[in-house]
Amino acid sequence: MTIPPARLQAKDFKSELKPIWCPGCGDFGVLQALTRALAAIGRPPHEIAFVSGIGCSSRIPGYTTAYGFNAVHGRALPIAQGIKLANPELLVLVAGGDGDGFSIGGGHIPHAARRNLDLTYIVMDNQVYGLTKGQLSPTSRRGLQTVTSEYGSLERPVNPLLYLLAYGAGFVAQGTPADLPGLVEVLEAAIRYPGFAFVNVLSPCVTFGEDDQQLRQHRARMIPLAGLGHDARDRLAAMRLAERYGEEIHTGVFYADPTPPPTMSALIAERQRELGVGAAPRARVFERFLASEDRP
Amino acid sequence: MTFRTQNTRALDLATLTPRDALDLAIVIEEEAKERYDELASQMELHHNPEAARFFRRMWEVEAKHERLLAERRVHLFGAEPQRVSREMIFDIEAPEYDEVRANLTLQSGLEIALRAETKAHAFFAAAAQVATLQEVRDLFSELRDEELGHQALVQRELDKLPEEPATRRYGDEDEDEDIVAL
Repeated sequence: MTIPPARLQAKDFKSELKPIWCPGCGDFGVLQALTRALAAIGRPPHEIAFVSGIGCSSRIPGYTTAYGFNAVHGRALPIAQGIKLANPELLVLVAGGDGDGFSIGGGHIPHAARRNLDLTYIVMDNQVYGLTKGQLSPTSRRGLQTVTSEYGSLERPVNPLLYLLAYGAGFVAQGTPADLPGLVEVLEAAIRYPGFAFVNVLSPCVTFGEDDQQLRQHRARMIPLAGLGHDARDRLAAMRLAERYGEEIHTGVFYADPTPPPTMSALIAERQRELGVGAAPRARVFERFLASEDRP
Repeated sequence: MTFRTQNTRALDLATLTPRDALDLAIVIEEEAKERYDELASQMELHHNPEAARFFRRMWEVEAKHERLLAERRVHLFGAEPQRVSREMIFDIEAPEYDEVRANLTLQSGLEIALRAETKAHAFFAAAAQVATLQEVRDLFSELRDEELGHQALVQRELDKLPEEPATRRYGDEDEDEDIVAL
């Protein structure tokens, strides 16, 4: 008789490290939802790589038992793509904040979307730079007064959902820790999507965020897309709803490509088959980084 | 008939067996216990020892409830497999993460605990009404009434406290000043 493997639980994905986020931070709920989604996916921690940039939310890989890489500011996506290309079998998650993703790292998003590697990119969007004490971020609303916009911001905020839909991402969703079951659902769906998936999580900053953007207000204002009868296969309908970012709190899947195109890993494998070559053994790859006189 | 709540996932309260219902009660206590542990750690990290001590006390209370229910489970059902898991419930008796702030006072901590016991009472009251089996209804009614007892305990502790100015409760006040005050 074979003994079936024990079912994974959310706690199997939580590390011993205690989060140092401010009490009340939305990111606690994101961590909770993510560990539950991973338990539902059922891949063990050693088969998961979690890459982040810099910021409060980018600490999240350290609070999980998956392999973690806390990268430099804004560079989580290129590193995650490298990891996925080198080891396509890994489940690769990418996390960061709105500043990390849409400001310093903003240039990487269209390329990650068009390359379509099987990654899940989770942005914890708190609409402010929290770690550095409350400066204006790319998603801060126009008029917001911060230490870097004393008289109120004059800039139109980035719309993360429209960005990703316009760049051609195959899966775009939004959630909030105010609705943990809903957040688990979108994270799980994003991870299961075979291609580049994006989840914008409205995760308020309790210290520098606005009072009317906190989770209590999310609970009162959020509008689940499922209740609107939205068809997540319709990209244009998704874009029309996404235009309401910053005004309405829509939660759920905006768009999931009903016929996902092949991922870049699949295309590489196909090219290798056509050319009759396989991937170089890993040892050979490392040799290329050695000085010529040290090569075997 | 099926019955689901906003705090559950993949769990039909109407069709629970007595074993499932007891397992559900255990995971609810387990979740609350772990949340209080997390909140205590947060308070310790943010130099708020009074609130940390309070949440540790709440951890002990929930751990005791969990242990008593677990003993009952072993007595009634031995090692029969568990179908209800932690992944199926969300903050039924556990305070929500956004309830707390770094400068939390003891009074606010007690109010958080009171709200947690109140929502647990509401959950068990609803569950007792929709459960199909009488044995399950009886268990949920018993747990519902226990939550009333817990609420009374917390309320008594609250009543012992001197009235504190509204500005000392978590919110807009200067954090450093409050930590010194504690």
